[in-house]
Amino acid sequence: MTMSDEGNEPAVVQLSDVRKEYGDAVALDGISLRIRAGEAVAVMGPSGSGKSTLLNVIAGLDRPTSGSVVVHGDDLGRLDEKGLALFRRRRIGMIFQFFNLIDDLPALDNVALAAQLAGVAAPHARRRALELLDELGVAGRRNTYPAQLSGGERQRVAVARALMNRPALLLADEPTGALDSRVGEQVMDLLLDLNQIGQTLLMVTHDERLATRCASRVIEIVDGRVARERTLERA
Amino acid sequence: MSAVWLAARAAVRRRRLQTAVVGIVVGVCTTMTVVAVGLLAVSSGPFDRAYAQQRGAHLSVTYDRAKVTDAQLTSAAAWSGVEAVAGPFSQATVELGAADRPRGMPLTVAGRADPAGPVDRLNLWNGRWATAPGEIVMNENPAGPGFRARIGDEFTTPDGVTLTVVGRAYSMSRSADAWVTPGQIAALNPSATQLLYRFAEAGTTSAMRAGEAEVTRGLTGARLGSTSYLVLREEAAREAATYVTFLIAFGVLGLAVAILIVGNVVSGAVVAGFRHIGVLKALGFTPTQVLAVYLTMVSVPAVAGCALGTALGNVLARPLLSQAFRNLGAEGIGVPLWVSVAVALGVPLTVALSAFVPAMRARRLPAAEAISAGSAPQSGGGLRVQRWLSGTRLPRAVSLGLGLPFARPARSALTMAAVVLGVTSVTLAIGLADSLTRYQRAEARSGAVQVEAFPAGGPDAGSAGDEALLRAAPGTRYLLGSLDLPVRQIGNTDQTMLRLYKGDTAALGQRVLDGRWPSAVGEVAVAKRFLVQRGLSIGDSFAIEAGEGVTRVRVVGMVLFNETETIIADWSTAALVVPEAFPDRFEIQLTGGTDPRAYMDALRGSGLMAVPPEGAEQFVVIVLVTVTLLTLMLAVVAALGVFNTAVLSTRERRRDLGMLKSIGMTPGQVVVMVVTSMAVLGALGGLLGIPIGVAVHRVVLPAMADAAQVGFPSAFLDVYEVPTLALLAVAGVAIAAVGALMPARSAARLTIAEVLHNE
Ligand SMILES: Nc1ncnc2c1ncn2[C@@H]1O[C@H](COP(=O)(O)OP(=O)(O)OP(=O)(O)O)[C@@H](O)[C@H]1O
Ligand SMILES: [Mg+2]
Repeated sequence: MTMSDEGNEPAVVQLSDVRKEYGDAVALDGISLRIRAGEAVAVMGPSGSGKSTLLNVIAGLDRPTSGSVVVHGDDLGRLDEKGLALFRRRRIGMIFQFFNLIDDLPALDNVALAAQLAGVAAPHARRRALELLDELGVAGRRNTYPAQLSGGERQRVAVARALMNRPALLLADEPTGALDSRVGEQVMDLLLDLNQIGQTLLMVTHDERLATRCASRVIEIVDGRVARERTLERA
Repeated sequence: MSAVWLAARAAVRRRRLQTAVVGIVVGVCTTMTVVAVGLLAVSSGPFDRAYAQQRGAHLSVTYDRAKVTDAQLTSAAAWSGVEAVAGPFSQATVELGAADRPRGMPLTVAGRADPAGPVDRLNLWNGRWATAPGEIVMNENPAGPGFRARIGDEFTTPDGVTLTVVGRAYSMSRSADAWVTPGQIAALNPSATQLLYRFAEAGTTSAMRAGEAEVTRGLTGARLGSTSYLVLREEAAREAATYVTFLIAFGVLGLAVAILIVGNVVSGAVVAGFRHIGVLKALGFTPTQVLAVYLTMVSVPAVAGCALGTALGNVLARPLLSQAFRNLGAEGIGVPLWVSVAVALGVPLTVALSAFVPAMRARRLPAAEAISAGSAPQSGGGLRVQRWLSGTRLPRAVSLGLGLPFARPARSALTMAAVVLGVTSVTLAIGLADSLTRYQRAEARSGAVQVEAFPAGGPDAGSAGDEALLRAAPGTRYLLGSLDLPVRQIGNTDQTMLRLYKGDTAALGQRVLDGRWPSAVGEVAVAKRFLVQRGLSIGDSFAIEAGEGVTRVRVVGMVLFNETETIIADWSTAALVVPEAFPDRFEIQLTGGTDPRAYMDALRGSGLMAVPPEGAEQFVVIVLVTVTLLTLMLAVVAALGVFNTAVLSTRERRRDLGMLKSIGMTPGQVVVMVVTSMAVLGALGGLLGIPIGVAVHRVVLPAMADAAQVGFPSAFLDVYEVPTLALLAVAGVAIAAVGALMPARSAARLTIAEVLHNE
């Protein structure tokens, strides 16, 4: 499969005519998309339009029915399950609305886990996890279990874990969806900060205000198709 | 109630896998229980039934004809405790030979006018009763093996009387080997009189002893011997008793595993169904209805499994029972109906009871808590373990797996208990198999005896040259010659053999379990069963009738020996019995490097026939097959328990799995994690199960030996060696790993997007 590189900057994500069907239902209906390094892209759209499916396909959590997905030079269609896992480990950080943390492990170990799975020894993994927790302002909660963390704290820990392996692409599926607006804004600021120091970001959100505040580009999806695309000027 | 049924049906459908697991586990365990209880039930049942039907003698006593008259006997039998009495019948010991071979087996022949009567009603199953002189009826088990006479066969006594077989009858009381008319017996020089009694009170040995004392009062001087039906009954049940002992052990293990796993499955269903319970309650189900839903959910597969298991148990038990009671003349013995009914009712009840505790929990669970309780908060201990593990050097997938069991300690404990029992039974089975093989090898003297040789002319064809020839044959290391002579212990109708040994008894003779090997004239050694059944011990003497006269012999040793009707003596004892005799069987051990084939070939043409010794006995084979079968069943059941737990825990942890995958856990790491989580239970289960298995082995085996009245050297109990134990430890891990593998792989294949979509 040959890919044409249109932009000047290297593409982190390159989707060509991606379709995803679940039985008769079409979740993605021929999406082509290109995200360059350093961009912050927000995906918006009504419920059931295919936003989560898009993210999952990019993360290699799901395979498209047809079309190609290339992330950071890896053609995901050519990777087997293990290859996809290693790909995620190295290139992708993910944050979800819910279900982010393992209840049995305290914050620090939840974050360290991402590196430990890659074979990093516990002391090193914990040191880096602590640094990240510190940067995100939750170092004080490192020994706390998820059940005792507030929603915002939980999401910060999740962000820390997503950043653990220095991913090329940070994916966030409604990261503020479960949070009240003040805390949601704090998390968004955090993502914005990360983007400003060079982290490529792709997030799904329902909140137009948040999207315009931290995204450089907004893609609207309706019925599995890109309906509108806007490039924003950020403050 | 129909709402409960609807909800239960939906729950069964939604949990096909668990439903299947419950069904299979209950089915397998029911099968084992039916076989075990069935054997136990019939181990005395068929004998009692058949014996009652024949109105078999509780006691048969033989009296010396010279010392007591028939009238005296009849009046002595008038004691009030006697329910019925048959006889007096005159009895003679007659050697029935063919015309060309006058000296045959000495048989007990009684004179009876009638096969029926108040006691010992014979089952005349072939031909007719003897009505005229010269006619004889043989006592034969219709289903029995061995030598069988045919109607029309002719026998000749040493005195030249010819007797023609006119019928075959079976006496369970074994009152005689053959019967003739009262007129004919008078011509056969009867030496004894037999009386057959039935007592009102005959259930116990002491009742029997009291009864015997009453009926022989004043006649003790004339009493030659007696047989209690309790001995016959025990003998009939003995072979079965050997099975039963370990079948019970396995049956109990099986039931315990069944209860544990069913409890585990049901509590798992409750935990996994927290949200479901909440929904049911929100829909307006009362707590009791929720309880009913959960009980129904488990009962449906349990009842199905139980029905199938009962049927299968009946099918499997039939050949086992027939084999065990072959000697009773009772064919086609099946599991009694009441056993099937009891098991078919009892097992589901047990299952329901084991389901009750977790179902009660479901009943109590408040709706709101049930709905919100996606992830139950857990105990501090489990968390600390998790914490500690995450800091170790182990690969993270392994340490995560090790921590998983601590998240649900109760379920893990139940699963582990199932593995413990699985390992216990495997340990027990291996030990049992090993011990039995050792016993069998020692009994057959395999390894010691490599070649057997016989005079080519038949039993009486031995000659003085045979022994010398074999001694001189190149390759002979040890040589043991023997000769069997039919004798009879006075007062006992059983045919007994006197085996005279000559040669290297120390190297090739039976293993002495107690006392010593007979070395002087009149000294004998016997099997344990011989001592037990005749109430003898080492040092006791008894009289045997052999050849022309009666000889007293003294028991000096107990040997490891299955031929329980055989008396072993040194060759010097031959002088008491036969004037001149030669061994008609030789057992030989060869010098190192001698090929048995070549040795046997070299003997061809020498007048001796050489053959390899006999192999393992069928009984041991059956025991081994049964043990292996039951062990496999238990291992399968234990693996299913693990399987179920692994399925439950991977289902519950779907979102954790999805999360772990999203941060780059590979499918291989998922498999490692899930298998590790169960293997750790298997390893712990192995560590506990092995010592328990070893202990059970030490209890069950001597019990089996006792039941079979077999002398069993305690050295045969020390069968567990380090490699065996190491292998067994692996068995626990293997059972667990096998059970966990499938759920682990399906967890590894789980599409994360789907999990995230569905949660
Ligand atoms: N695993 C799945 N199996 C079947 N259908 C699915 C699956 N995942 C998504 N779908 C369907 O695909 C379509 C797109 O779903 P998707 O989750 O991507 O929507 P979304 O835009 O993220 O919606 P929301 O804003 O509600 O999260 C929907 O119709 C959904 O029902
Ligand atoms: Mg979505």
